Amino acid sequence: MKKILIVDDEKDIVETLSFMLKAKGFDCICAYDGEEGLNYAKNINPDLIILDVMMPKINGYKICRLLKFDNKYKNIPIIMITARSQEEDKLIGEETGADEYITKPFEFSDVLNKINKYLN
Amino acid sequence: MTKILLLIDAPETTNQIYSILNDIEYEIIEINSKSNDSIDEIISQIENYDADIILADENYPNCDFILRQIRTNSKNQNIQILLLTNKNYDISFLDLSDGIIQTPIKDEVLIFNINSHHKIKQTFDRLYENNKELSRSLYQLNVLYNTSSQFTGTLNTKKLYEIMIEAMEKTLSFDISSALILNSEKKPVFNLNTLHPPSENLIDALKIRSVLNYKTIQDDNSSFYKTEFDDIEIVQKTKQMRSNKIFSIETINYDSLFAPIKVGDDFFGVVELFRQIPFSPEDVTCFQAITHQVALPLRSAKLYEEISITNKKLEKLEKLKSEFVSIVSHELRTPLTPINNSLEIVLEEQTGPITPEAKNFILMAKRNIQRLSGIIEDLLDLSRIQAGKLDFKYKTVDITSSLELLKNTFLQVANEKEIQINLEIKEKLPEIYADIRRIEQIFTNLVSNSLKFTAPKGYININVDIIESDTINYDNLISPVMIPNGKYIKVSVKDNGIGIKKEDIPKIFDKFSQIESSLNRNKGGVGLGLTITKQLIDSHLGLIEVQSKEQDGSEFIVYLPLCDKMKTFELDLSCALRSCDDVGVIRIVSNKDTNIINILKDNKLLNLTKLSKEAIFETQDNIDYYAFIPKITQSSFDSLFGAIFEYSQKIKQKECDIMLYKAHSMQYGSDLSKIIKILTQEGLK
Repeated sequence: MKKILIVDDEKDIVETLSFMLKAKGFDCICAYDGEEGLNYAKNINPDLIILDVMMPKINGYKICRLLKFDNKYKNIPIIMITARSQEEDKLIGEETGADEYITKPFEFSDVLNKINKYLN
Repeated sequence: MTKILLLIDAPETTNQIYSILNDIEYEIIEINSKSNDSIDEIISQIENYDADIILADENYPNCDFILRQIRTNSKNQNIQILLLTNKNYDISFLDLSDGIIQTPIKDEVLIFNINSHHKIKQTFDRLYENNKELSRSLYQLNVLYNTSSQFTGTLNTKKLYEIMIEAMEKTLSFDISSALILNSEKKPVFNLNTLHPPSENLIDALKIRSVLNYKTIQDDNSSFYKTEFDDIEIVQKTKQMRSNKIFSIETINYDSLFAPIKVGDDFFGVVELFRQIPFSPEDVTCFQAITHQVALPLRSAKLYEEISITNKKLEKLEKLKSEFVSIVSHELRTPLTPINNSLEIVLEEQTGPITPEAKNFILMAKRNIQRLSGIIEDLLDLSRIQAGKLDFKYKTVDITSSLELLKNTFLQVANEKEIQINLEIKEKLPEIYADIRRIEQIFTNLVSNSLKFTAPKGYININVDIIESDTINYDNLISPVMIPNGKYIKVSVKDNGIGIKKEDIPKIFDKFSQIESSLNRNKGGVGLGLTITKQLIDSHLGLIEVQSKEQDGSEFIVYLPLCDKMKTFELDLSCALRSCDDVGVIRIVSNKDTNIINILKDNKLLNLTKLSKEAIFETQDNIDYYAFIPKITQSSFDSLFGAIFEYSQKIKQKECDIMLYKAHSMQYGSDLSKIIKILTQEGLK
């Protein structure tokens, strides 16, 4: 079973997303802030990460950059969830190396398409 | 009475003169050389007497020397000197004197000479006086001229007042000036400038006087009435602080000048001058000129202050607004996500089976979530466009597949409404340089508008073609601009819907136009789509045309320029500029022709002084020019860009390689390498 790590401080988003992904046969691990997310990413070796941008402690772009510039983790596909706010614009600055972006509110079919692109 | 001074030793001559001049009113004085006075004493006596005419005997001891001394003293220049001599006329006499009288003296010759030289003296005196007045007026005028240029140089109320007092001091040399002026906080300040230290009584008296004058003139209910007399701030300056003299209360009886400082209804205060020497009419004119001159810049200062306060408020509001829009749209999106997800879970019956009716309502909820998120998207885009922060990712793209995808996306909705959508692409499309997401947004907006305003059984035709710029009708364009030459992709979205009234066509691109135009509308949307569409087309250097008749369908035609090197550069540049501000940099490489510098200077929109010699650095090989343009604005940058482009077209020189940069917050004259790194874009060749 493919392992997907979902990192978002919005519990409702994490809950609904993991419910749907489980129904499609994925194994989901959930993290509720940046720090926890980064820890899981490094320790449980997920097959794909779904990452929110605006989060407490460490923001999504930072996590993405940390992972993508580390040889050990750079091959894990990362899908960023963005709300395209001005705060996010300020954060992005440099290239983050994320593989895909989805904008809130997203269609599940859209997310699934993107996941399948990397996990099939 | 004419004053005549005799420098004659011979008594018989003196007597003769007395007897001749006896009948007429003359004041005659003799200075006898036989007294024990030294030559210096004699000279000082002569100078102090201030005679009109001197009759000097050439035999008087040291006559030459004495007369020369008197001549060289500027105070006595006008004294007429007549020399008594027994010699014949000789030109050398005129060195010392204004005329000669030959001895023995003939009566009528003496009278005649005295009379005529008296007249000459009077004329000279008058000339001298006039001259003095003229030079004084000239000085006053000069001061006034300088003052007026100083006045225009500042908008600081306090400084303006200081300039005024300084000007009055120079032109009118007053003993005391007392003024009651409103400061920038609109509180009256009592300003007292005196030559010598004033007594306490005098200060109080002058203050009361100013306040009374002020109140006499200012008869409205200004805040000043509410100010207590003792609360008025006193600013006092004394020129000769250590002077022994003290201005007592009597000084108030000196000659005085008074004037209010006002322009129209704007009243700024009163000023009064005191001087021991009475003021002349010229002084009055000068005084009035100064008080009038200061009032104008005071009013400007007042307006300036008001404007800058309002401006700051507006800036803050604007910032607040865009932050608000951004935060709100972010906050709206986040809860929409789990709502949408939850609905989807229920809809897919993952939580158990649902009835067809329930399914219908959940689908309705989902449609409305999409609609809501579309509105949020539009709002966010609009706030970005207004802040100039919309991001573009330009690439070389083929729009064919995007258009086909677009048609397919709308097919379902169109079928539901029984509207036919046709897409016809006449020939294989060349690539354009664009942000494909934005291009899709443009056509999504246009097609969804057509769907919205077309009745069932209607049609929407999307026709794509390649055309030359000269076939575009300038007059039909929305906000027409110069059409750059070259090929364009023409995309027409035509429907047979309700159409648009001719007078409404320009309005549909305004913000919220749908809301404003009709309250009884029954179509969705908030009317931001076309505003955004227009901006997106502009950003791609494209053009838009609208053809429509009421009840007879509409045609929206978009022209997108084909990808060429110039367009590519221009788009990348404008994209890079969006994120930076303040400083512009021009780099001109490998071109010995310095004409380009002149072209840049000729560009009116630039601050020319900043683009002067010192702003242009020559690097070692003598062929690189860098020009820094501090505080560059988007419009000045655009026009500069145009000028350079035109120039490069004209010279068609291989060696000419021009680059334009607008560096992010770079300080003037900072490290070159840093600036070059900001944009590593190939220039025009």
